[in-house]
Amino acid sequence: MDVDTTSTTTTSLVDRIVVPGDVVLDLTKMENQTVRLGAGLRQDCDSISVMQAGKLRLSKPNKYWVESSQKRYIPSLEDAVLGIVVDSRSDNFLVDIKAPNLAFLPVLAFEGGTRRNIPKFETGTLIYARVVKANSIMNPELSCTDASGKAAEFGQLKNGYMFETSTGLARTLLSSPTCPVLEALGKKISFETAIGLNGRVWVNGSSPDDVILVSNAIMRSEFLSGTQQRTMVEKLMERLRGN
Amino acid sequence: MVGMMIDGAGEEADELVTPGEFLGEATQLVAGKGAYVSGRSILASLTGRRTITPPTPGSSDNRSTIEVVGHKAHGAVPQPGSIVIARVTKVMARNASVDIMCVDSKAVKEKFSGIIRQQDVRATEIDKVDMYQSFRPGDIVRALVLSLGDARAYYLSTAKNELGVVSAQSISGGTMVPISWTEMQCPLTGQIEQRKVAKVD
Repeated sequence: MDVDTTSTTTTSLVDRIVVPGDVVLDLTKMENQTVRLGAGLRQDCDSISVMQAGKLRLSKPNKYWVESSQKRYIPSLEDAVLGIVVDSRSDNFLVDIKAPNLAFLPVLAFEGGTRRNIPKFETGTLIYARVVKANSIMNPELSCTDASGKAAEFGQLKNGYMFETSTGLARTLLSSPTCPVLEALGKKISFETAIGLNGRVWVNGSSPDDVILVSNAIMRSEFLSGTQQRTMVEKLMERLRGN
Repeated sequence: MVGMMIDGAGEEADELVTPGEFLGEATQLVAGKGAYVSGRSILASLTGRRTITPPTPGSSDNRSTIEVVGHKAHGAVPQPGSIVIARVTKVMARNASVDIMCVDSKAVKEKFSGIIRQQDVRATEIDKVDMYQSFRPGDIVRALVLSLGDARAYYLSTAKNELGVVSAQSISGGTMVPISWTEMQCPLTGQIEQRKVAKVD
């Protein structure tokens, strides 16, 4: 494997694969500029170096971040995630969100939640929630309301089918404009999905055939280009309708 | 049980006694440190040397005090009101667990656990305290013992200017320098981290 020496030349590393240790910006050469750092980047006195392997992205004018995709999820604030209830305590539910620690979901963190109407979630219940507190030393905390206290589609997800993906695919599915595979599926099938940034996707449709088709299409779309995704969806639908 | 009958002052003061050993009658002696009253007898509660102190002149009680002085020198034990130095072991949403290392500038001989609750971190706006911005695991803090607490830990407080984080390491591993009462800076990377910093003179 060739050693990448671009960090020693003046070529920009934006939109290229970077690995931990790469120096992407030299702040001594950029005077009087504000640089915003997103995920995966770290300031080391006068240089900005990479902490996480992935693709370096730049959003003009000055926001840099590293896009990476893993099976494991590191909780971050305001992410929408799909969690599975593991246990319930007196003041919160313990929810698994594929993070290093179990997350806490307070029993009152629901729209109109009071001590009298606490939801009864059994072990294994699938929940769509939002991360409200996340740091490296404590268990993350979730909430089933949005910032203003309304339910906003958060809460228990009933029926349907849930499968796991990488965090990168989950982010692609949530990007706008709509991801090609979802657009192609939406033209012919009516279905609903809930996508968790922690790498979990829930699909519900009017018949099991639809649910299976949509789930398979999404799972296969990760490394395909836009046109390849559309072709793949068409082939799947032909196979289903043809039988 | 070996019983030794003594009748008040005048006995040898350097006799070794063991816990449970009979020291005297409660009618003739007052139980001091290391001794306790059981029924009408005074028994030893420590292993050590028995000492008898004559009664203070002018007190209504003219009984001598009998004490057992520990055979080994005991380490310091936290008492309510003492200042302790502790290392933070775990930070949770509503409290932080610490290991008490020194009591009033004397090191402890055995491990004591302490808890700093969210409402005891600082004196102002105690319901808006974010534990993550006050302590991290590994920080050295100076705290005041509030009470003996429950069976698991002492209750500590850092709600004063001179209490709080005394020494902390940044994520990069450098020992941080305090720059205000809420911030410390790493000398290696320049990053600023939030802590409840103690005002050290």
